[in-house]
Amino acid sequence: MERYAHSLGIRHVACGSCNACEHEMNALESPQYDLAQEGWQIAASPRHADVLTVTGPMTQAMREAAAASAGAMAQPRVVVAVGDCAIGTGVWSGAPSSGAGAGVELHARVRIPGCPPSPDAIKTGLGRAAALLDGKGSNGETDVLR
Amino acid sequence: MTASGRGITEVVVGPVHAGIIEPGRFRIGTNGETIASFEMQFGFAHRGVETALIGRDAVGAAPAIARICGGCTAARSWAYARALEDLAGVCVDERSELARLLFAELERIYNHIFDLGAACAGAGYGYGRTAALGLVERVHRVCARLSGHRFLFDAIVPGGVRGEAFEGGAAVIAELETIRGDLERLVHDVLANDSVRRRFEGAGILSARSVRELGGVGPARRACGDPLDARIENPYGAYARIMPFIATQSGGDVAARFRVKTQELRESLRLASCALEHLGGAKLPAPQKPEVGAGSTTGIAEGARGVETMRVRTGARGALQSVSIISASARNWPLVARAMEGNIVPDFPLVNKSFNLCYACMDK
Repeated sequence: MERYAHSLGIRHVACGSCNACEHEMNALESPQYDLAQEGWQIAASPRHADVLTVTGPMTQAMREAAAASAGAMAQPRVVVAVGDCAIGTGVWSGAPSSGAGAGVELHARVRIPGCPPSPDAIKTGLGRAAALLDGKGSNGETDVLR
Repeated sequence: MTASGRGITEVVVGPVHAGIIEPGRFRIGTNGETIASFEMQFGFAHRGVETALIGRDAVGAAPAIARICGGCTAARSWAYARALEDLAGVCVDERSELARLLFAELERIYNHIFDLGAACAGAGYGYGRTAALGLVERVHRVCARLSGHRFLFDAIVPGGVRGEAFEGGAAVIAELETIRGDLERLVHDVLANDSVRRRFEGAGILSARSVRELGGVGPARRACGDPLDARIENPYGAYARIMPFIATQSGGDVAARFRVKTQELRESLRLASCALEHLGGAKLPAPQKPEVGAGSTTGIAEGARGVETMRVRTGARGALQSVSIISASARNWPLVARAMEGNIVPDFPLVNKSFNLCYACMDK
Protein backbone atom coordinates (compact mmCIF):
# COMPACT_ATOMS: atom_id res chain seq x y z
CA MET A 1 0.00 0.00 0.00
CA GLU A 2 1.10 3.57 -0.69
CA ARG A 3 2.48 5.60 2.17
CA TYR A 4 0.61 8.77 2.99
CA ALA A 5 2.18 11.71 4.74
CA HIS A 6 -1.18 13.01 5.76
CA SER A 7 -2.74 11.72 8.94
CA LEU A 8 -6.50 11.87 8.88
CA GLY A 9 -9.18 12.67 11.40
CA ILE A 10 -12.31 10.97 10.12
CA ARG A 11 -15.84 11.93 11.14
CA HIS A 12 -18.69 9.70 10.13
CA VAL A 13 -22.34 10.67 9.67
CA ALA A 14 -24.94 8.03 8.83
CA CYS A 15 -27.70 9.54 6.68
CA GLY A 16 -30.20 6.69 6.46
CA SER A 17 -27.94 3.75 5.61
CA CYS A 18 -28.91 0.17 6.46
CA ASN A 19 -25.97 -0.02 8.91
CA ALA A 20 -23.88 -2.42 6.79
CA CYS A 21 -21.62 0.47 5.68
CA GLU A 22 -21.21 1.42 9.36
CA HIS A 23 -20.23 -2.18 10.13
CA GLU A 24 -17.54 -2.04 7.45
CA MET A 25 -16.35 1.34 8.75
CA ASN A 26 -16.09 -0.21 12.22
CA ALA A 27 -14.12 -3.10 10.71
CA LEU A 28 -11.39 -0.54 9.89
CA GLU A 29 -10.64 -0.53 13.61
CA SER A 30 -10.30 -4.32 13.74
CA PRO A 31 -6.83 -5.92 13.92
CA GLN A 32 -7.12 -7.03 10.27
CA TYR A 33 -7.48 -3.49 8.83
CA ASP A 34 -6.11 -1.38 11.71
CA LEU A 35 -6.50 2.14 10.33
CA ALA A 36 -4.30 3.54 13.12
CA GLN A 37 -1.32 2.13 11.19
CA GLU A 38 -2.02 4.67 8.46
CA GLY A 39 -2.00 7.48 11.03
CA TRP A 40 -5.77 7.75 10.74
CA GLN A 41 -8.30 7.94 13.52
CA ILE A 42 -12.03 8.28 13.95
CA ALA A 43 -12.68 11.79 15.31
CA ALA A 44 -15.48 12.25 17.82
CA SER A 45 -16.27 15.74 16.53
CA PRO A 46 -16.32 17.26 13.02
CA ARG A 47 -14.15 20.05 14.48
CA HIS A 48 -11.30 17.53 14.72
CA ALA A 49 -11.84 15.97 11.31
CA ASP A 50 -10.28 16.38 7.85
CA VAL A 51 -12.55 13.86 6.22
CA LEU A 52 -16.31 13.45 6.49
CA THR A 53 -17.55 10.00 5.52
CA VAL A 54 -21.24 9.78 4.75
CA THR A 55 -23.54 6.82 4.07
CA GLY A 56 -27.15 6.40 3.06
CA PRO A 57 -29.52 8.00 0.57
CA MET A 58 -29.83 11.14 2.78
CA THR A 59 -33.07 11.07 4.68
CA GLN A 60 -35.12 14.20 5.13
CA ALA A 61 -34.56 13.98 8.88
CA MET A 62 -30.75 13.90 8.58
CA ARG A 63 -30.27 16.65 6.00
CA GLU A 64 -29.87 19.47 8.52
CA ALA A 65 -27.58 17.56 10.92
CA ALA A 66 -25.36 16.34 8.06
CA ALA A 67 -24.99 19.84 6.62
CA ALA A 68 -24.19 21.18 10.10
CA SER A 69 -21.52 18.49 10.57
CA ALA A 70 -19.89 19.33 7.24
CA GLY A 71 -20.12 23.05 8.01
CA ALA A 72 -18.41 22.57 11.38
CA MET A 73 -15.25 21.20 9.75
CA ALA A 74 -12.21 23.35 9.09
CA GLN A 75 -10.90 23.78 5.52
CA PRO A 76 -9.44 22.01 3.71
CA ARG A 77 -11.79 19.10 4.05
CA VAL A 78 -12.93 16.23 1.87
CA VAL A 79 -16.31 14.53 1.89
CA VAL A 80 -16.18 10.82 1.08
CA ALA A 81 -19.33 8.99 -0.06
CA VAL A 82 -19.28 5.44 1.29
CA GLY A 83 -21.52 2.92 -0.47
CA ASP A 84 -24.06 2.80 -3.28
CA CYS A 85 -26.76 4.67 -1.33
CA ALA A 86 -24.42 7.60 -0.65
CA ILE A 87 -23.34 7.86 -4.30
CA GLY A 88 -26.97 7.85 -5.39
CA THR A 89 -27.31 4.36 -6.86
CA GLY A 90 -28.70 2.46 -3.85
CA VAL A 91 -31.96 0.52 -3.67
CA TRP A 92 -33.74 3.26 -1.69
CA SER A 93 -33.03 6.08 -4.16
CA GLY A 94 -36.42 7.53 -4.96
CA ALA A 95 -38.08 6.30 -1.75
CA PRO A 96 -40.46 8.99 -0.42
CA SER A 97 -38.20 10.26 2.40
CA SER A 98 -34.88 9.61 0.65
CA GLY A 99 -32.76 12.19 -1.12
CA ALA A 100 -30.27 12.03 -3.97
CA GLY A 101 -27.59 10.24 -1.93
CA ALA A 102 -25.71 11.68 1.05
CA GLY A 103 -22.49 12.05 -0.93
CA VAL A 104 -24.25 13.63 -3.91
CA GLU A 105 -25.95 16.23 -1.72
CA LEU A 106 -22.77 17.02 0.22
CA HIS A 107 -20.60 17.20 -2.95
CA ALA A 108 -18.34 14.27 -2.13
CA ARG A 109 -15.02 14.33 -3.99
CA VAL A 110 -14.35 10.65 -3.34
CA ARG A 111 -16.98 8.03 -4.16
CA ILE A 112 -16.70 4.45 -2.94
CA PRO A 113 -19.27 2.14 -4.56
CA GLY A 114 -20.39 -1.15 -3.06
CA CYS A 115 -23.28 -2.53 -1.08
CA PRO A 116 -21.53 -2.30 1.26
CA PRO A 117 -18.00 -1.49 0.03
CA SER A 118 -15.36 -3.77 1.56
CA PRO A 119 -13.08 -2.40 4.29
CA ASP A 120 -10.23 -2.52 1.76
CA ALA A 121 -12.22 -0.38 -0.68
CA ILE A 122 -13.03 2.12 2.09
CA LYS A 123 -9.34 2.28 3.00
CA THR A 124 -8.43 2.94 -0.62
CA GLY A 125 -11.03 5.73 -0.73
CA LEU A 126 -9.68 7.29 2.45
CA GLY A 127 -6.21 7.11 0.88
CA ARG A 128 -7.55 9.11 -2.09
CA ALA A 129 -8.96 11.66 0.36
CA ALA A 130 -5.56 11.93 2.09
CA ALA A 131 -3.89 12.47 -1.30
CA LEU A 132 -6.40 15.20 -2.18
CA LEU A 133 -5.69 16.94 1.12
CA ASP A 134 -1.98 16.75 0.35
CA GLY A 135 -2.61 18.51 -2.95
CA LYS A 136 -1.90 15.32 -4.87
CA GLY A 137 -4.23 13.73 -7.34
CA SER A 138 -6.83 15.47 -9.39
CA ASN A 139 -8.71 18.48 -8.19
CA GLY A 140 -11.91 16.94 -9.47
CA GLU A 141 -13.86 14.00 -8.20
CA THR A 142 -12.35 10.57 -7.85
CA ASP A 143 -13.94 7.15 -7.88
CA VAL A 144 -12.75 4.03 -6.17
CA LEU A 145 -13.34 1.09 -8.50
CA ARG A 146 -15.56 -1.67 -7.19
CA MET B 1 -41.02 10.33 30.18
CA THR B 2 -39.55 13.77 30.91
CA ALA B 3 -38.19 15.40 34.03
CA SER B 4 -37.85 19.10 34.72
CA GLY B 5 -37.33 21.47 37.59
CA ARG B 6 -34.60 22.53 39.99
CA GLY B 7 -31.47 20.37 39.84
CA ILE B 8 -32.38 18.67 36.56
CA THR B 9 -29.87 19.11 33.75
CA GLU B 10 -30.73 17.93 30.27
CA VAL B 11 -28.12 16.11 28.22
CA VAL B 12 -28.89 15.66 24.54
CA VAL B 13 -26.97 13.27 22.30
CA GLY B 14 -27.44 12.61 18.61
CA PRO B 15 -28.38 12.30 15.86
CA VAL B 16 -24.64 12.52 15.13
CA HIS B 17 -22.70 10.40 17.61
CA ALA B 18 -19.04 10.20 18.59
CA GLY B 19 -18.62 6.66 17.24
CA ILE B 20 -19.58 5.09 13.94
CA ILE B 21 -23.21 4.29 14.61
CA GLU B 22 -26.62 4.94 13.16
CA PRO B 23 -28.51 8.18 13.78
CA GLY B 24 -30.77 8.45 16.81
CA ARG B 25 -31.33 11.10 19.45
CA PHE B 26 -31.60 10.78 23.20
CA ARG B 27 -32.69 13.40 25.71
CA ILE B 28 -31.48 12.50 29.15
CA GLY B 29 -32.71 14.40 32.20
CA THR B 30 -30.02 14.08 34.86
CA ASN B 31 -30.21 14.67 38.57
CA GLY B 32 -26.57 14.76 39.57
CA GLU B 33 -25.18 11.59 38.00
CA THR B 34 -28.51 9.77 37.99
CA ILE B 35 -30.69 9.42 34.92
CA ALA B 36 -34.03 10.87 36.01
CA SER B 37 -35.67 10.73 32.61
CA PHE B 38 -34.83 9.18 29.27
CA GLU B 39 -36.46 10.09 26.00
CA MET B 40 -35.71 8.54 22.61
CA GLN B 41 -36.29 10.28 19.30
CA PHE B 42 -36.35 8.23 16.11
CA GLY B 43 -36.98 8.70 12.42
CA PHE B 44 -33.54 9.95 11.33
CA ALA B 45 -33.07 6.80 9.21
CA HIS B 46 -36.63 6.92 7.84
CA ARG B 47 -36.44 6.37 4.09
CA GLY B 48 -40.07 5.54 3.44
CA VAL B 49 -39.35 1.87 2.80
CA GLU B 50 -42.88 0.52 3.21
CA THR B 51 -44.33 3.14 0.85
CA ALA B 52 -41.57 2.64 -1.71
CA LEU B 53 -42.37 -1.08 -1.90
CA ILE B 54 -46.04 -0.62 -2.83
CA GLY B 55 -46.79 -1.73 -6.39
CA ARG B 56 -43.54 -3.62 -6.87
CA ASP B 57 -43.38 -7.27 -7.87
CA ALA B 58 -43.26 -9.27 -4.61
CA VAL B 59 -40.48 -11.63 -5.70
CA GLY B 60 -38.54 -8.86 -7.46
CA ALA B 61 -38.59 -6.74 -4.27
CA ALA B 62 -36.47 -9.28 -2.33
CA PRO B 63 -33.11 -7.45 -2.85
CA ALA B 64 -34.70 -4.26 -1.50
CA ILE B 65 -36.11 -6.16 1.51
CA ALA B 66 -32.59 -7.50 2.14
CA ARG B 67 -31.30 -3.90 2.31
CA ILE B 68 -33.72 -2.47 4.88
CA CYS B 69 -31.30 -3.31 7.68
CA GLY B 70 -27.82 -4.69 7.11
CA GLY B 71 -27.59 -6.50 10.44
CA CYS B 72 -30.93 -8.31 10.16
CA THR B 73 -30.89 -9.17 6.47
CA ALA B 74 -30.85 -12.98 6.68
CA ALA B 75 -33.68 -13.14 9.23
CA ARG B 76 -35.80 -10.53 7.41
CA SER B 77 -35.20 -12.14 4.00
CA TRP B 78 -36.19 -15.50 5.51
CA ALA B 79 -39.38 -14.06 7.06
CA TYR B 80 -40.25 -12.43 3.72
CA ALA B 81 -39.48 -15.60 1.75
CA ARG B 82 -41.68 -17.63 4.10
CA ALA B 83 -44.53 -15.16 3.54
CA LEU B 84 -44.26 -15.40 -0.27
CA GLU B 85 -43.88 -19.18 -0.19
CA ASP B 86 -47.02 -19.35 1.93
CA LEU B 87 -48.90 -17.20 -0.61
CA ALA B 88 -47.65 -19.35 -3.50
CA GLY B 89 -48.17 -22.63 -1.66
CA VAL B 90 -44.66 -23.91 -2.31
CA CYS B 91 -42.26 -25.91 -0.15
CA VAL B 92 -38.52 -25.37 -0.14
CA ASP B 93 -36.18 -28.36 -0.55
CA GLU B 94 -34.28 -29.79 2.38
CA ARG B 95 -30.80 -28.61 1.37
CA SER B 96 -31.98 -25.03 0.83
CA GLU B 97 -33.66 -25.11 4.26
CA LEU B 98 -30.39 -26.27 5.83
CA ALA B 99 -28.53 -23.45 4.07
CA ARG B 100 -31.10 -20.93 5.35
CA LEU B 101 -30.55 -22.13 8.92
CA LEU B 102 -26.79 -21.86 8.36
CA PHE B 103 -27.06 -18.28 7.06
CA ALA B 104 -29.42 -17.18 9.86
CA GLU B 105 -27.12 -18.63 12.52
CA LEU B 106 -24.05 -16.98 10.95
CA GLU B 107 -25.91 -13.66 11.11
CA ARG B 108 -26.64 -14.25 14.79
CA ILE B 109 -22.98 -15.17 15.36
CA TYR B 110 -21.43 -12.02 13.85
CA ASN B 111 -24.08 -9.78 15.48
CA HIS B 112 -23.65 -11.32 18.92
CA ILE B 113 -19.84 -11.18 18.80
CA PHE B 114 -20.08 -7.54 17.69
CA ASP B 115 -22.43 -6.93 20.65
CA LEU B 116 -20.02 -8.51 23.14
CA GLY B 117 -17.36 -6.13 21.81
CA ALA B 118 -19.75 -3.19 22.00
CA ALA B 119 -20.52 -4.00 25.65
CA CYS B 120 -16.76 -3.99 26.32
CA ALA B 121 -16.47 -0.61 24.57
CA GLY B 122 -19.31 0.65 26.79
CA ALA B 123 -17.25 -0.33 29.82
CA GLY B 124 -14.11 1.30 28.37
CA TYR B 125 -12.42 -2.06 27.76
CA GLY B 126 -10.67 -1.47 24.44
CA TYR B 127 -9.05 -4.88 24.18
CA GLY B 128 -12.44 -6.60 24.33
CA ARG B 129 -13.80 -4.46 21.51
CA THR B 130 -10.75 -4.90 19.28
CA ALA B 131 -10.57 -8.65 19.83
CA ALA B 132 -14.31 -8.98 19.14
CA LEU B 133 -13.98 -6.95 15.92
CA GLY B 134 -11.21 -9.33 14.85
CA LEU B 135 -13.53 -12.31 15.34
CA VAL B 136 -16.43 -10.53 13.60
CA GLU B 137 -14.20 -10.02 10.56
CA ARG B 138 -13.43 -13.74 10.45
CA VAL B 139 -17.17 -14.55 10.53
CA HIS B 140 -17.81 -12.06 7.69
CA ARG B 141 -15.18 -13.90 5.64
CA VAL B 142 -16.93 -17.20 6.33
CA CYS B 143 -20.23 -15.58 5.22
CA ALA B 144 -18.57 -14.43 1.98
CA ARG B 145 -17.25 -17.93 1.35
CA LEU B 146 -20.68 -19.50 1.82
CA SER B 147 -22.98 -16.91 0.25
CA GLY B 148 -20.74 -14.65 -1.83
CA HIS B 149 -21.54 -11.70 0.45
CA ARG B 150 -19.93 -10.63 3.73
CA PHE B 151 -23.32 -9.65 5.20
CA LEU B 152 -25.34 -12.45 3.53
CA PHE B 153 -27.28 -9.96 1.37
CA ASP B 154 -29.54 -11.86 -1.07
CA ALA B 155 -28.42 -15.21 0.36
CA ILE B 156 -31.99 -16.17 1.32
CA VAL B 157 -34.44 -15.50 -1.53
CA PRO B 158 -38.10 -16.40 -2.14
CA GLY B 159 -38.12 -20.06 -3.19
CA GLY B 160 -34.76 -21.04 -1.73
CA VAL B 161 -31.23 -19.68 -1.46
CA ARG B 162 -28.66 -18.14 -3.77
CA GLY B 163 -26.09 -20.89 -3.59
CA GLU B 164 -23.78 -20.42 -6.57
CA ALA B 165 -20.98 -19.11 -4.34
CA PHE B 166 -21.41 -21.82 -1.71
CA GLU B 167 -18.12 -23.37 -0.69
CA GLY B 168 -18.81 -25.59 2.31
CA GLY B 169 -16.88 -28.55 3.63
CA ALA B 170 -14.42 -29.41 6.36
CA ALA B 171 -12.28 -26.25 6.07
CA VAL B 172 -15.21 -23.97 7.00
CA ILE B 173 -16.22 -26.24 9.89
CA ALA B 174 -12.62 -26.11 11.13
CA GLU B 175 -12.59 -22.30 10.89
CA LEU B 176 -15.82 -22.08 12.94
CA GLU B 177 -14.22 -24.36 15.54
CA THR B 178 -11.17 -22.05 15.72
CA ILE B 179 -13.45 -19.02 16.07
CA ARG B 180 -15.29 -20.82 18.89
CA GLY B 181 -12.02 -21.43 20.77
CA ASP B 182 -10.86 -17.82 20.37
CA LEU B 183 -14.30 -16.59 21.44
CA GLU B 184 -14.19 -18.68 24.64
CA ARG B 185 -10.81 -17.16 25.47
CA LEU B 186 -12.12 -13.64 24.86
CA VAL B 187 -15.23 -14.17 27.00
CA HIS B 188 -13.05 -15.61 29.75
CA ASP B 189 -10.73 -12.59 29.61
CA VAL B 190 -13.64 -10.15 29.75
CA LEU B 191 -15.45 -11.79 32.68
CA ALA B 192 -12.20 -12.44 34.56
CA ASN B 193 -11.56 -8.71 34.54
CA ASP B 194 -13.13 -7.55 37.80
CA SER B 195 -13.57 -3.90 36.85
CA VAL B 196 -15.34 -4.83 33.61
CA ARG B 197 -17.50 -7.52 35.20
CA ARG B 198 -18.57 -5.15 37.96
CA ARG B 199 -19.59 -2.53 35.39
CA PHE B 200 -21.76 -5.20 33.73
CA GLU B 201 -23.35 -6.49 36.93
CA GLY B 202 -26.33 -4.50 38.19
CA ALA B 203 -26.31 -2.06 35.25
CA GLY B 204 -29.48 -1.61 33.21
CA ILE B 205 -31.62 -4.05 35.13
CA LEU B 206 -34.85 -5.04 33.41
CA SER B 207 -37.35 -7.07 35.45
CA ALA B 208 -39.04 -10.16 34.03
CA ARG B 209 -42.34 -8.38 34.54
CA SER B 210 -41.24 -5.26 32.62
CA VAL B 211 -39.96 -7.26 29.67
CA ARG B 212 -43.28 -9.13 29.43
CA GLU B 213 -45.39 -5.98 29.87
CA LEU B 214 -43.44 -4.16 27.16
CA GLY B 215 -43.52 -7.14 24.80
CA GLY B 216 -39.76 -7.56 24.55
CA VAL B 217 -38.22 -10.27 22.37
CA GLY B 218 -34.90 -11.96 21.65
CA PRO B 219 -31.84 -12.17 23.90
CA ALA B 220 -33.08 -9.16 25.90
CA ARG B 221 -36.13 -11.19 26.94
CA ARG B 222 -34.19 -14.42 27.44
CA ALA B 223 -31.78 -12.54 29.76
CA CYS B 224 -34.81 -12.02 32.02
CA GLY B 225 -35.44 -15.75 32.35
CA ASP B 226 -38.06 -16.18 29.63
CA PRO B 227 -37.05 -18.67 26.88
CA LEU B 228 -39.22 -17.05 24.18
CA ASP B 229 -37.74 -17.87 20.76
CA ALA B 230 -39.52 -18.26 17.40
CA ARG B 231 -37.16 -21.11 16.49
CA ILE B 232 -38.83 -23.39 19.04
CA GLU B 233 -42.23 -21.72 19.59
CA ASN B 234 -43.21 -22.87 16.13
CA PRO B 235 -40.20 -24.57 14.51
CA TYR B 236 -39.78 -23.57 10.87
CA GLY B 237 -37.47 -24.76 8.11
CA ALA B 238 -34.62 -26.96 9.29
CA TYR B 239 -35.15 -25.98 12.95
CA ALA B 240 -37.67 -28.84 13.09
CA ARG B 241 -34.71 -31.18 12.45
CA ILE B 242 -31.87 -29.32 14.16
CA MET B 243 -33.44 -28.08 17.37
CA PRO B 244 -31.67 -25.25 19.17
CA PHE B 245 -31.18 -25.28 22.91
CA ILE B 246 -32.61 -21.97 24.18
CA ALA B 247 -30.41 -20.35 26.82
CA THR B 248 -31.70 -18.05 29.52
CA GLN B 249 -30.26 -15.91 32.31
CA SER B 250 -32.21 -14.50 35.23
CA GLY B 251 -30.48 -11.22 36.12
CA GLY B 252 -31.92 -8.94 33.41
CA ASP B 253 -28.84 -6.69 33.64
CA VAL B 254 -25.98 -5.97 31.23
CA ALA B 255 -24.12 -9.01 32.58
CA ALA B 256 -27.14 -11.26 31.91
CA ARG B 257 -27.46 -9.99 28.35
CA PHE B 258 -23.71 -10.53 27.84
CA ARG B 259 -23.92 -14.06 29.23
CA VAL B 260 -27.05 -15.04 27.33
CA LYS B 261 -25.46 -13.90 24.06
CA THR B 262 -22.35 -15.93 24.93
CA GLN B 263 -24.49 -19.03 25.46
CA GLU B 264 -26.40 -18.38 22.24
CA LEU B 265 -23.10 -18.02 20.37
CA ARG B 266 -21.97 -21.47 21.49
CA GLU B 267 -25.29 -22.91 20.36
CA SER B 268 -25.32 -21.02 17.03
CA LEU B 269 -21.80 -22.20 16.26
CA ARG B 270 -22.94 -25.77 16.96
CA LEU B 271 -26.03 -25.36 14.76
CA ALA B 272 -23.99 -23.83 11.92
CA SER B 273 -21.42 -26.66 12.04
CA CYS B 274 -24.23 -29.22 12.15
CA ALA B 275 -25.85 -27.67 9.06
CA LEU B 276 -22.48 -27.58 7.27
CA GLU B 277 -21.91 -31.28 8.02
CA HIS B 278 -25.31 -32.16 6.56
CA LEU B 279 -24.73 -29.95 3.53
CA GLY B 280 -21.27 -31.25 2.65
CA GLY B 281 -19.29 -29.55 -0.09
CA ALA B 282 -21.73 -29.98 -2.98
CA LYS B 283 -23.35 -26.96 -4.64
CA LEU B 284 -26.77 -25.78 -3.49
CA PRO B 285 -29.88 -26.11 -5.67
CA ALA B 286 -31.13 -23.02 -7.52
CA PRO B 287 -34.18 -21.29 -6.02
CA GLN B 288 -37.62 -22.21 -7.37
CA LYS B 289 -39.33 -18.89 -8.06
CA PRO B 290 -42.72 -18.89 -6.28
CA GLU B 291 -45.78 -17.93 -8.35
CA VAL B 292 -47.35 -15.38 -6.02
CA GLY B 293 -51.00 -14.46 -6.55
CA ALA B 294 -53.35 -12.26 -4.56
CA GLY B 295 -53.39 -12.83 -0.82
CA SER B 296 -52.33 -11.73 2.61
CA THR B 297 -50.04 -13.43 5.09
CA THR B 298 -47.33 -13.03 7.71
CA GLY B 299 -43.83 -14.49 7.75
CA ILE B 300 -41.58 -14.63 10.80
CA ALA B 301 -38.01 -15.65 11.57
CA GLU B 302 -35.90 -15.33 14.72
CA GLY B 303 -33.14 -12.81 14.11
CA ALA B 304 -30.20 -11.79 16.29
CA ARG B 305 -32.33 -9.27 18.20
CA GLY B 306 -35.53 -11.32 18.31
CA VAL B 307 -38.39 -12.19 16.03
CA GLU B 308 -38.53 -10.41 12.67
CA THR B 309 -42.05 -10.11 11.26
CA MET B 310 -43.10 -9.33 7.68
CA ARG B 311 -46.78 -8.80 6.93
CA VAL B 312 -47.38 -8.93 3.20
CA ARG B 313 -50.48 -8.25 1.09
CA THR B 314 -50.38 -8.86 -2.62
CA GLY B 315 -52.77 -8.19 -5.49
CA ALA B 316 -53.21 -9.92 -8.82
CA ARG B 317 -49.97 -11.10 -10.49
CA GLY B 318 -48.11 -10.79 -7.19
CA ALA B 319 -47.79 -7.00 -6.94
CA LEU B 320 -47.24 -5.74 -3.40
CA GLN B 321 -50.23 -3.85 -2.00
CA SER B 322 -48.68 -3.41 1.43
CA VAL B 323 -45.68 -4.56 3.41
CA SER B 324 -45.61 -4.06 7.15
CA ILE B 325 -42.23 -4.50 8.80
CA ILE B 326 -42.32 -5.20 12.53
CA SER B 327 -38.73 -5.53 13.62
CA ALA B 328 -37.33 -6.96 16.83
CA SER B 329 -35.65 -3.60 17.38
CA ALA B 330 -38.99 -1.77 17.17
CA ARG B 331 -40.37 -4.16 19.79
CA ASN B 332 -37.35 -3.76 22.05
CA TRP B 333 -36.54 -0.02 22.05
CA PRO B 334 -39.04 0.60 24.89
CA LEU B 335 -37.01 -1.87 26.98
CA VAL B 336 -33.93 0.34 26.63
CA ALA B 337 -35.78 3.32 28.10
CA ARG B 338 -37.11 1.20 30.98
CA ALA B 339 -33.67 -0.32 31.71
CA MET B 340 -32.09 3.15 31.73
CA GLU B 341 -34.18 4.47 34.64
CA GLY B 342 -32.16 5.10 37.79
CA ASN B 343 -28.79 4.31 36.19
CA ILE B 344 -25.94 6.79 36.10
CA VAL B 345 -25.17 8.80 32.97
CA PRO B 346 -21.77 7.11 32.33
CA ASP B 347 -23.64 3.78 32.08
CA PHE B 348 -25.91 5.07 29.29
CA PRO B 349 -23.65 3.80 26.45
CA LEU B 350 -23.05 0.52 28.29
CA VAL B 351 -26.76 -0.20 28.84
CA ASN B 352 -27.63 0.96 25.32
CA LYS B 353 -24.97 -1.27 23.74
CA SER B 354 -26.03 -4.27 25.83
CA PHE B 355 -29.20 -4.22 23.68
CA ASN B 356 -27.48 -2.90 20.52
CA LEU B 357 -30.73 -2.37 18.63
CA CYS B 358 -31.01 -1.17 15.04
CA TYR B 359 -32.26 2.22 13.94
CA ALA B 360 -32.58 1.22 10.27
CA CYS B 361 -35.21 -1.43 10.90
CA MET B 362 -36.91 0.74 13.52
CA ASP B 363 -37.20 3.81 11.27
CA LYS B 364 -37.75 1.91 7.98
